[in-house]
Amino acid sequence: MSKRVMLVDDSRLVRVQMEDVLKGTDYEIAVHCRSGEEAIERYAEVAPDLVTMDIIMGGMDGMDAAEIILKKNPDARIVMVSSLAYDDTFERAKAIGAKGFVDKPFHQEQLLKAFEEALA
Amino acid sequence: MNTAATKQELERILDQALQDVTERTAGVRLHQGNQPLGEDLCTVHITFDKGFGTSLTLCADTSLLARMARNSFHEEAVTPEDVEEFSKEYFNVLCGKIVGAMFQATQVPAHFGAPVFYHGRYEPEGQEAQFILTYADEQREGAQLIHHVPSAHDEDVPRARPDKGV
Repeated sequence: MSKRVMLVDDSRLVRVQMEDVLKGTDYEIAVHCRSGEEAIERYAEVAPDLVTMDIIMGGMDGMDAAEIILKKNPDARIVMVSSLAYDDTFERAKAIGAKGFVDKPFHQEQLLKAFEEALA
Repeated sequence: MNTAATKQELERILDQALQDVTERTAGVRLHQGNQPLGEDLCTVHITFDKGFGTSLTLCADTSLLARMARNSFHEEAVTPEDVEEFSKEYFNVLCGKIVGAMFQATQVPAHFGAPVFYHGRYEPEGQEAQFILTYADEQREGAQLIHHVPSAHDEDVPRARPDKGV
């Protein structure tokens, strides 16, 4: 059975790329949220196996959204997916409890590796 | 971006990021050259570190951006709105990649605002081009990546060091 992924990103481009990369794998996009607020609101209803979270989005910052989801759902598996691949964003992602960080534009191999590690 | 990178180092980072992101995002290989752009152009513009006054623009043939949007969205035809949406998202990823590479090189973090899209060529007010990287692909459609710094004659804007990058 496929693992259900909640994609949180305001970019259509990323949604298309994510669909391409996950085609034929054990993962499927269960829902695409275009903001951190939407992800927080829908997390319990969707109950995904994994969340991919962008950082810079219209409205709430993805780090803040991830932190709120993790406070309410400590078992949530969140992988940050962003082009802001700095040491300080890696550190903050780790500090709030994110399970991984993938920089954009992503390759299939690095994304799947991050997913496997997040679910291990 | 406010870094200690030299102009040459900045040019190298911008060139590498543009070629990498363009191929990975849109399946288009761009190479540097001197081919002039056509007449139907679009520009995407991003400002770095509010207050510092540097910015980056990508001015490209509309047909190139439309082809990149078709490739990326897997659509046979795209609307002008699709081209604008794609251009902003693509440039956002490109600038993120550039800022990440700059951080690796200089340990100085930088931030940028939301990309703004224009039809035609756009030149930011109070700024001048520090350098221009010109690209074309095998279909002879082109783009220019332009790094802008505050104009030397504009006393209201902080000046960039002439031998340094953003």
